[in-house]
Amino acid sequence: MRMLPARRRAALLVALVAAWVAGSALGATHPAGRASAAPLFQLEPAHAEYVPVLDGTKPIYVLIIGSDARPDQAVESQRADSIHILSINPAKHKAAIVGIPRDSYVEIPGVGQNKINTALFYGGPDLVVQTVEQLTDLKMDYWAMTGFASFEQMVDDVDGLVVDVPFAMNDEASRAFFEPGVQRLDGDNALAFARNRHDLPAGDFGRSENQGRLMVAALAQLKKEFNKDPARMLIWAASFVRNGTTSLALDEVLDLAFTGTAVNANKVENVVFPGGVAMVGGLSVVTLNQETLDKISKDLADDGLLKKANVPPSPNEPLLGG
Amino acid sequence: MTPNRAQRGASKKRRVPLALLIVPVVLVAIGVAILLALRGGDGAIIGGGDEPPPPFDFIVKPATAILTAPDADEATLSANADEVAQEITPTIDDLYTNAFLDPSNWRHDDYEEVFAAFGPDAAATAEQSLETLTLGATAGDVFDTVEPGKSKLSYQVLFDPDGEPDTAVVSVIFRATAERKSGTYLAIVSEGEFFLGQIDGQEQPWTITAFDVTRDDHETHPPSASASTSASPSA
Repeated sequence: MRMLPARRRAALLVALVAAWVAGSALGATHPAGRASAAPLFQLEPAHAEYVPVLDGTKPIYVLIIGSDARPDQAVESQRADSIHILSINPAKHKAAIVGIPRDSYVEIPGVGQNKINTALFYGGPDLVVQTVEQLTDLKMDYWAMTGFASFEQMVDDVDGLVVDVPFAMNDEASRAFFEPGVQRLDGDNALAFARNRHDLPAGDFGRSENQGRLMVAALAQLKKEFNKDPARMLIWAASFVRNGTTSLALDEVLDLAFTGTAVNANKVENVVFPGGVAMVGGLSVVTLNQETLDKISKDLADDGLLKKANVPPSPNEPLLGG
Repeated sequence: MTPNRAQRGASKKRRVPLALLIVPVVLVAIGVAILLALRGGDGAIIGGGDEPPPPFDFIVKPATAILTAPDADEATLSANADEVAQEITPTIDDLYTNAFLDPSNWRHDDYEEVFAAFGPDAAATAEQSLETLTLGATAGDVFDTVEPGKSKLSYQVLFDPDGEPDTAVVSVIFRATAERKSGTYLAIVSEGEFFLGQIDGQEQPWTITAFDVTRDDHETHPPSASASTSASPSA
């Protein structure tokens, strides 16, 4: 092996020392701990999300009113065909729906004893709210109302509702003709499903439960669509505000919609105040079972949710095979 | 042939001991090393800070107006939706520039500016999601450069019944190519939605109130010389 001249060897040595010094200093700019901790970087998909759901412990009660107003009629001056309390526990991300049969014979403030559905005619949604508050001792935070046409439009705006129709329906009056099973209902069919009572064993009680079923379906669908495309929430919120009438401000609608996306729709209790049918002054009315009504109301007042023990049997039970 | 004066001079210089030539080089090398060490070392360029971020703008698609009043003038609100998009776009440009492109941020794990775009409630979660929403805390140890790719924004603007913009959802597809110190390349892909609202008391007119963002990076090849590194805004 040929040796380098002494001067060159010395120069190379000096250069190596210089390189080592420089290299050490450069190396010092990257502490060993951090460098070795450096990840390969995001080769697995990562996800970050913030959804501003309400998280208070106080339950939120929304009275949902379905007016029987036809397309050319004002929704607030007709009768309430459907009345439901939507109760949300934001902290627990749970909810309950309680239907009040439209023919329930109750005390209407300033009017006297009458069917609850007439409260809308006598005093608009505010009187329906007062009536329900008096009946249940629950303070409604908001109300929201639709009519036939606006309900149809709302469903169509979100491209229909996917509903698990629990049993076959064949009712000429409401034009509800359905086979059981999961299906997407357009506005027209969703309205028919919501109106059908003639081929249900408990009539209006069963219909009220089915209306709640539509609400649960809507909740499940909102959540599913939001998870797939969060911007869909704007479509839902806008349709609700455009077609409905409500005491909710737009930002409150969005707050509730965000909160709704956190609720597990499969665990929403959907019940109807039970009662019996009676005749009062020639009127066929529903007399609510006061004991059950009180139990349910007190349970809802507690945390906005219903304990299993307080869930009454489904009015559609004979058809559900339960 | 007789050497001229310059050649003689050159010939004379070759006779200077090699060690004497190397000494200044060594001194300079040591000086540089000390300078870098004293600076605390972040791979910074000698004699100055980090280079500025590469120029970057999202491509902006026409905005969609979502109406809450049955009798709203759709054409007017569509135009207003585009105005809202123009108002918000600089915020999103800055957000992604600060999060992925500005070397003075990613080289030093300093992403504070990123979170200025978020409302108070969303910011806390955003800060916890730093590794997804930014190039990452240790990016300075891993990457040499980051160059933006073709990136897009599309807007949906919700108007209240009075025709005022209430909420905007901006859908983002951000792409960049990062060169690792090892010489390999990583395609950075950030995709998602940001909800923006107008919160009283906030410095910016529009603030992020909710978000849903996915990072799906993957190995890639060096960008071709003809590839564009900066998108241009377009209506």
